[in-house]
Amino acid sequence: MRVLARALAAALTLGAAVQTTARAADVKFGALFPFSGQLALLGEESARGVEIAVDEINAAGGVQGQKVVLARGDAVDNNQAIGEARRLISLEKVVAIFGSYSSARSIAASQVAELSGIPYFELGAVAEEVTGRGLQYLYRTNPTAEDMAKLAVEMIVKKVAAGLGKKPEDLKIGIIYEDSSYGTSVAGFQKKFAAQAKLNVVTAQGYPASTVDMSSLVLDLKGRGIDVLLQTSYQNDSVLFLQQANEAGFKPGAIIGGGGGYSMQPTADAVGHKVIEGVLDTDFTQYLVNTQYTPGIENFVAAYQKKYGSAPRSGHSLNNYVGAKLILQAIGNAKGFEPDTIVKVAQGIDVKDGVTAVGYGFKFGKNNQNERAAMMGMQWQGGKLVTVYPDSAAVAPMEMRK
Amino acid sequence: MDVFLQVLANGVMLGGLFAIVSVGLTLIFGIVKVVNFAHGEFLMVGMYLTYLAVTGLGLHPFAALILVVPVLFLLGALTQRFLIQPLLAAGDHHIQIFATVGLSTVLINLALLLFGADIANTPPSGLRQPLQIGPVRVLLGQVVILGAAIVLVAGLQTFLARTRTGRAIRAVAQNRAAAELMGIDVNRIYALTFGIGAACVGVAAVLIAPLYPTSPNSGTYFVLIAFVVVVLGGLGSIRGAFVGAILIGLIDSVTGFYVGADMREVAVFGVFLAILILKPSGLFGRQLRLSHVSP
Repeated sequence: MRVLARALAAALTLGAAVQTTARAADVKFGALFPFSGQLALLGEESARGVEIAVDEINAAGGVQGQKVVLARGDAVDNNQAIGEARRLISLEKVVAIFGSYSSARSIAASQVAELSGIPYFELGAVAEEVTGRGLQYLYRTNPTAEDMAKLAVEMIVKKVAAGLGKKPEDLKIGIIYEDSSYGTSVAGFQKKFAAQAKLNVVTAQGYPASTVDMSSLVLDLKGRGIDVLLQTSYQNDSVLFLQQANEAGFKPGAIIGGGGGYSMQPTADAVGHKVIEGVLDTDFTQYLVNTQYTPGIENFVAAYQKKYGSAPRSGHSLNNYVGAKLILQAIGNAKGFEPDTIVKVAQGIDVKDGVTAVGYGFKFGKNNQNERAAMMGMQWQGGKLVTVYPDSAAVAPMEMRK
Repeated sequence: MDVFLQVLANGVMLGGLFAIVSVGLTLIFGIVKVVNFAHGEFLMVGMYLTYLAVTGLGLHPFAALILVVPVLFLLGALTQRFLIQPLLAAGDHHIQIFATVGLSTVLINLALLLFGADIANTPPSGLRQPLQIGPVRVLLGQVVILGAAIVLVAGLQTFLARTRTGRAIRAVAQNRAAAELMGIDVNRIYALTFGIGAACVGVAAVLIAPLYPTSPNSGTYFVLIAFVVVVLGGLGSIRGAFVGAILIGLIDSVTGFYVGADMREVAVFGVFLAILILKPSGLFGRQLRLSHVSP
């Protein structure tokens, strides 16, 4: 009994002590990303965007006069994502969580946040299922797999067809994709939007991302006389396909990649700049873009360079940066950090296109998804990924190869 | 008809690729009787070494052989000596499997640490040169791989059949206890065999690196097929591994073209299962024996 009393006293004292230290003029937000493991490269890249946003907010006086502190959580796998979310909420006492690059991690961790009633702001994961589960406290700022597919079809109808001298309905479309959830979901939406636009999808084939050979697929596509090929893939299969297509003499009028390997410089270097010349891509806003449409992007790149000593490695940091900054600014205009207060100011965000560094605007709509989020169309020109669509964001015209 | 010939050619080239990766594995699996799950990672290590040799030292990939093959031999021998051998005494084979899985994980993450997750690209050095053989188009590097696979298979067969060490290796594979009684240093033979197997993977790595992107996970793409090929051909049968590889390459290519890209793996594994049900010891294998000691 005495032992119990002493233990209780010790616990209460400790609890009080912890409370006192946390009550400095700081407000904590969680940063839940895969910092180690398979997804570490782009998880870290995404988190860097959030960190730069926090730096800028603090330099401008913080949020409601308080300094923003980021508590990192390592979502190395789905189980860890759940555990880290719990830790951030119960131990670190974050008022909201920013995350997570990976759709799988996001889906897992946001459920924990929802149960605790803590707002979760997804800044980079693209799978459709992230929003649309009826969660009240989950908001997503970035464009999704559906947006990616929508843009690809739009590009075909509005630009590619004319560039090839054909009517959109007369084009033979081929869709290939790596068969995990990423490729399958983007391809699924591509089929849907293609059907809506009355395009002729001649074939849609999945393959394992770990494939070591795509020659039979290339031969098949060549035999079908594909005009426009859509591929959703990671690095390895992007390189394989582009190389083997080139060597087999398969030269469709246009190849449109769905992000992934198609947006990455190492892919272009591996395939060869001449081979990848003219290949199109749909993805998050990248860096060779019309800065009049994306004001502030140069400042972001400079800040990134200064803080991390290199150029940004992908558009993920940019997207996370803009999303996080807008949320923090909105919260700055509120009173207090109650979950419902935060959620209310988030719902009030209304930013037009062409105002932020990513170009697209912000307004949360159905399922708390940012309705104005959109992907951009890029093209490899001279070994560089330049933005070519929409016209307002383009730095170069789309070049159709004959 | 032209298209059909091209499909066949693609299949044979793919088979050559599978063959050269699997030859080392069948030696290790068939003789040391260890399921080396780090086999793919040996390939990956070899590919990165080739990448470094070509980009860093400016060597032609063929010259890189001089560097990569001995290093891989050492890697294999040391793995056997310091990882597998201490565990051979344990009655349960599963322990060795876990050890090799652990080694595989360590190697992948080491590569992630050293090279990052982005792909590394070994310059083709002329091996992507297309060759037009009648109506069929293949790459020079692919023909080299097929040729090397044939040479390796023939060379190993000769080595095992005609040399003293080769006979010692076969003796250990047949009956370890009896081999020991005959005065053969079994541990040394195991280390040597593992080393030779790894060295074969080294040859494969050097020839593959100029044609395929290298990343820490590259090994995982090849390893499953390598196991399929080895079991299909018959454990320990080098000839069987070669035939099995060509067969699988053809199935993959033909299915991929005439049925669909998504059905390739179904066909390959379907045929694999069918052959195993009909002939469990594989195409060229004799009775499956996993005991280390006696028949």
